[in-house]
Amino acid sequence: MRYYFLIMIWLVAGAGCASSARNTPNLPAASPVDVNSSGDAAFDEFETELSQRQVTIPDPIEPWNRAMFGVNDIFYFWVAKPVVQTYEKIVPRPARVCIRNFFENLTTPVRFVNCLLQGKGPEADRELRRFGINTTAGVLGFGDPAYDRWGLKPAAEDLGQTLAVYGLGDGFYVVWPLLGPSTLRDSVGTVGDSFLNPVRYVKPQEVSIGISVVDATNKGSFHIGEYESFKAASVDPYVAMRGAYIQYRKKQIRGEDQPIDPNSGKPEAIWPHGVL
Amino acid sequence: MTVRKLIIGIEGELMGISVKQKVMTRITSIWCVVLVLLVLGHNVNADEKYSNGAIKPPEAKSGSAALDVNDTNELWWSRWDAFVRDPNDPNELLEAKWNAIVTVLQNKELDQELKKKIMDKIMGPVFDTGLMAKLALGRTHWPKLTAPQQKRFTELFVERLKNIYLDKITLYNNEKVLFKHAMQEKNSIHIPVVLISNDKEIAILFKFHKMDETGGSKMNEYWKIYDVEIEGVSVLLVYRAQFDDILNRGGVKELFFQLEKPPTQ
Repeated sequence: MRYYFLIMIWLVAGAGCASSARNTPNLPAASPVDVNSSGDAAFDEFETELSQRQVTIPDPIEPWNRAMFGVNDIFYFWVAKPVVQTYEKIVPRPARVCIRNFFENLTTPVRFVNCLLQGKGPEADRELRRFGINTTAGVLGFGDPAYDRWGLKPAAEDLGQTLAVYGLGDGFYVVWPLLGPSTLRDSVGTVGDSFLNPVRYVKPQEVSIGISVVDATNKGSFHIGEYESFKAASVDPYVAMRGAYIQYRKKQIRGEDQPIDPNSGKPEAIWPHGVL
Repeated sequence: MTVRKLIIGIEGELMGISVKQKVMTRITSIWCVVLVLLVLGHNVNADEKYSNGAIKPPEAKSGSAALDVNDTNELWWSRWDAFVRDPNDPNELLEAKWNAIVTVLQNKELDQELKKKIMDKIMGPVFDTGLMAKLALGRTHWPKLTAPQQKRFTELFVERLKNIYLDKITLYNNEKVLFKHAMQEKNSIHIPVVLISNDKEIAILFKFHKMDETGGSKMNEYWKIYDVEIEGVSVLLVYRAQFDDILNRGGVKELFFQLEKPPTQ
């Protein structure tokens, strides 16, 4: 269920890629059939920009990956989706948000350690504050006052990114059954990170797995329908997922967290009334 | 009996005594704990999340009173443009358009189809669809298509994008939207937008470029979007990866076959 965050990006494509196909009389806009609506200068410029940004990933085990993509697809529609939908109907949204917050608070060690390993002081500091605030004021992490009140966002760092920062390449693209898209390096990272996740140390193992399933179900309940949208939007869902995954990771590794405020030259505050 | 089992299960866990319980019993016991905690957490969360007013629906600035439901002619929706003070400022353009969209979405009297039609009219002109289609194929593949093929491709690509986008935007459910400062690139302007969905921030980047000509009487068609990035993922590049793959495998014929068949469900 790892690909929920990839899928979510498609949901919010709501604000994206609109276009007008009809050429209504009152609309002097470029009609889609007018292929020369933009000069070649614009095409050349943005073509270069896009080509530079394009990231590719070797996919030597594509037959396996496509097969696993198919398995995950079937699993999603036959198992995950009905379970998550039922769960979503039974558990009210605020409760689901609480559970999500709780698990996110629990995995603070993963993000904190990786911030440190990458030498990201401010982010590590932010994670520590979040943990402190949410564990106390947020009642064991069920609430997220650190974000709601002070706009402290979690730092989305993981071992895969840390290894990339240390210079390790992607390796190649892998699709794992149930876990979804990954690369060789990110797979190593995921395994490494799991040692920092307290849920791993719950004994006996069945309970630990059970907790993880609850976590995944709960997370999934916020993303119902996103995979369907993603599939509908793509021409070849497998290639689309691969492309989106590798681009998404690239951005995470680059770590452009916040846009720079042109007035102050400092990172722009996401939350205007930030206090901490 | 079941309750007794559960209690033994929990106690066994806490005291470290190895009680041979069935797997299901253990999972259920954890569930009970989680459920109790979430009931407790529920109240805390509800109080904190909604009392400080952090998550509020964005206010539509444009007067919704002017909305005449039955008037489907092109006049009333075009009034949104009157709220753009400086049409050459893409930030303002985007915000005004967004406010218009929100007003349409929140109007309960309009049916879905009409909403889509209106939104298409509001947002459609902001997108440079011709350029988007061209860029989706890129320099390697676009010139390979004959002129009629290019035309057909643009139609199919645009139609697909439009349907998906209009379907998705109707899912909008009062998420908070923050418009950030525009960033000047070489010949384009990037506007970062933060959408807060389910209390999570999602970064969207609209990339505008300046059209060479003003394009008719409407000044606000001056800036047009040529790409959208969501969490750093360029929509165009995701399409380009797919088109590259299809063209390398099966050529132009395969491309049109794939595009013409209805989207996979």
